[in-house]
Amino acid sequence: MILDNPDQLIVNLVQQGLDLLSGFPIVVLVLCLLLSTVPLIAIFPACFAITTWLERKGLARIQNRIGPNRAGWFGLLQPVADGIKMLLKEDIVPRAGDQLTHFLAPVLLLVPAFTVLAVLPFSRNMTPAAADTGVILFFAIGSVSTLPVFLAGWSSHNKYSLLGGMRAIAQMVSYEIPLVLSTVTVVMLTGSLNTVRIVEAQQVSSWVLGDNAALQILGQVLKWNVFTPWGFIGFLIFFVASLAEVNRCPFDLPEADSEIVAGHLTEYSGFKYALFFMAEYISAFAISGLAVTLFLGGWSGPNIRPWWSDDPQALLIPGFVWFFLKMFALILAMIWIRGTLPRLRVDHLMGFAWKFLMPLALLNIFVAGAYYYLPRWIGWPAGFVVLYVCYEWLGRINRGSLGPKRTYRYA
Amino acid sequence: MNAAFLILSLLAVAGALLAIRLHNLVHATLSLMFFFVALAGLFVLLMAEFIAAVQILVYVGAVGILILFAIMLTPHVTGENHGRLCSRGWIWGLAGAGAVFLILIAPVLLMAGLDTPPATAALSPSVREIGLVLMTPYGIALLVMALLLTAALVGAVVAASPPARDKDEPKP
Amino acid sequence: MVTLQHYLILSAVLFSIGLLGVLTRRHAVIVLIGIEIMLNAANLNLIAFWRFGPHLENFEGLLFTLFSIAVAAAEASVGLALVIAVYRHFKTPDVEKMNTLRE
Repeated sequence: MILDNPDQLIVNLVQQGLDLLSGFPIVVLVLCLLLSTVPLIAIFPACFAITTWLERKGLARIQNRIGPNRAGWFGLLQPVADGIKMLLKEDIVPRAGDQLTHFLAPVLLLVPAFTVLAVLPFSRNMTPAAADTGVILFFAIGSVSTLPVFLAGWSSHNKYSLLGGMRAIAQMVSYEIPLVLSTVTVVMLTGSLNTVRIVEAQQVSSWVLGDNAALQILGQVLKWNVFTPWGFIGFLIFFVASLAEVNRCPFDLPEADSEIVAGHLTEYSGFKYALFFMAEYISAFAISGLAVTLFLGGWSGPNIRPWWSDDPQALLIPGFVWFFLKMFALILAMIWIRGTLPRLRVDHLMGFAWKFLMPLALLNIFVAGAYYYLPRWIGWPAGFVVLYVCYEWLGRINRGSLGPKRTYRYA
Repeated sequence: MNAAFLILSLLAVAGALLAIRLHNLVHATLSLMFFFVALAGLFVLLMAEFIAAVQILVYVGAVGILILFAIMLTPHVTGENHGRLCSRGWIWGLAGAGAVFLILIAPVLLMAGLDTPPATAALSPSVREIGLVLMTPYGIALLVMALLLTAALVGAVVAASPPARDKDEPKP
Repeated sequence: MVTLQHYLILSAVLFSIGLLGVLTRRHAVIVLIGIEIMLNAANLNLIAFWRFGPHLENFEGLLFTLFSIAVAAAEASVGLALVIAVYRHFKTPDVEKMNTLRE
């Protein structure tokens, strides 16, 4: 029965469709190619549209105002209105700027943003490109996106653009190090760079394949990497570094309107600006997806096996529902942080990466190594204690001195 | 297989040629990036996926940005010719490069000592095996590499930092 | 059928292009770009020999290339730092004008 495993419903339907066409291998090949790329290109821009609406409404409510409410019910058609506006705007290219690189920069930024979505495991058997070196491919292709930021800043022939571009790439390159170091702990303790294996290692497989429904639910949640000491700190470091990688608040100095007139995006208008905007959001989705995969258990959530099926791996609620729920929870956290925290100054930003996050990530690796060899009942609380001590110590080292104590005469 | 090799090798040769011939330095670096990506594609064709990922990560993500920073810090970027593009003795450079090319090609063309067995279609090595080999027999090389990179980091910072001012210079 | 000869010829072509860049261009950064091209051609050669070699389960070819990439990155960073330092002294990136030793 098709509905034997609701988790694999789409996969089984596609498999049966391809079996029907098995007489025409070329068609099957083309369909397989399309099936691994078209869903990504269809779903994620739709998520992008939803997220722009979510961000504007969310920020507005945090800032005690209403947000878009003119274009349709509760402003839900606002992304459509934005899209039409961007398409109708005039495309201005500065005459003294470099035409070729000015054109190439948004395209070169969008390509890695979409490509890295292919290594994320949305559900069992639903990874577009299940490579053995998935995590390193993600970071490799993600690090390509520093180049078009620089090209955008340089090709605009504008001092603010160039300065913004240099700051943006300095920030992105600096925060790549804590980002990668915090994933080293996950890879170390899982023993594989394959994203599917990393997700499977975060489920207590003996409980999940058993028969007790309560154990099935617990087995899919308890072993997430975020509930271990090194995973918790690793997740926090990863999340903060990912905010800096996609140039979001509080690390959005390169594109802040009040600081540097939109930085490397100053001379971009209309559709090219929309492409940059979309690339930033798709990168945010991709990196949230990786955080969900590495630390929050991927496609596993409080699921039970449906009572009518005898497939031990069947799940009642499909896995990609949990994946997208967790990813959107992280996006909501990003929006919340944007509305709440002030922007970091550029020297504070770089100091935070090099002097706080990187040593903390290195100490995290040591704690993860110790956690592996110690028995759990010692390693788990000791890990938390050691990491808290490191966090406090690094904080105190980096605090700097307070200014002279101010006394207010007439207060 | 043949078509992929042809396309990637044409991209690599074109990227390398443009990288050394363009006036505009940023364009030259951009074509160097395309060369690196084409070379990573060739590594994937040769079943070395891990090396391809490392190539993109290190070269495109780091060395390319480094070259761009160096270009920004030493102006004369755009195509205004402050003199010739090539040095005066460029014909000798061309002759030298051609001679090296002929020396490298000679054993290939003469098939001297090159026994090419048919390439067995084995699976590409898993990262786990590479990791095991890297840690156990080649662990010392890894540590030496770490020392080398640390030395290069410190040396680069010291070499590029501005010279220290004398203490008894009058303050501006 | 792509044989070892194809890869060797390709890497020889890329190596001589890099060498051409080092020997003919006047800008210091382009010389470094040429050096990077030469190192990459050598890496391609190493991987090709590993792939078409008799023992595919020895990973020496892969590891050699990995270390070569790491060494090339270190050398590029030091080389570019030196270019910046030398530019600060000679005020020009032209390698033909850097023909006096500092007294």
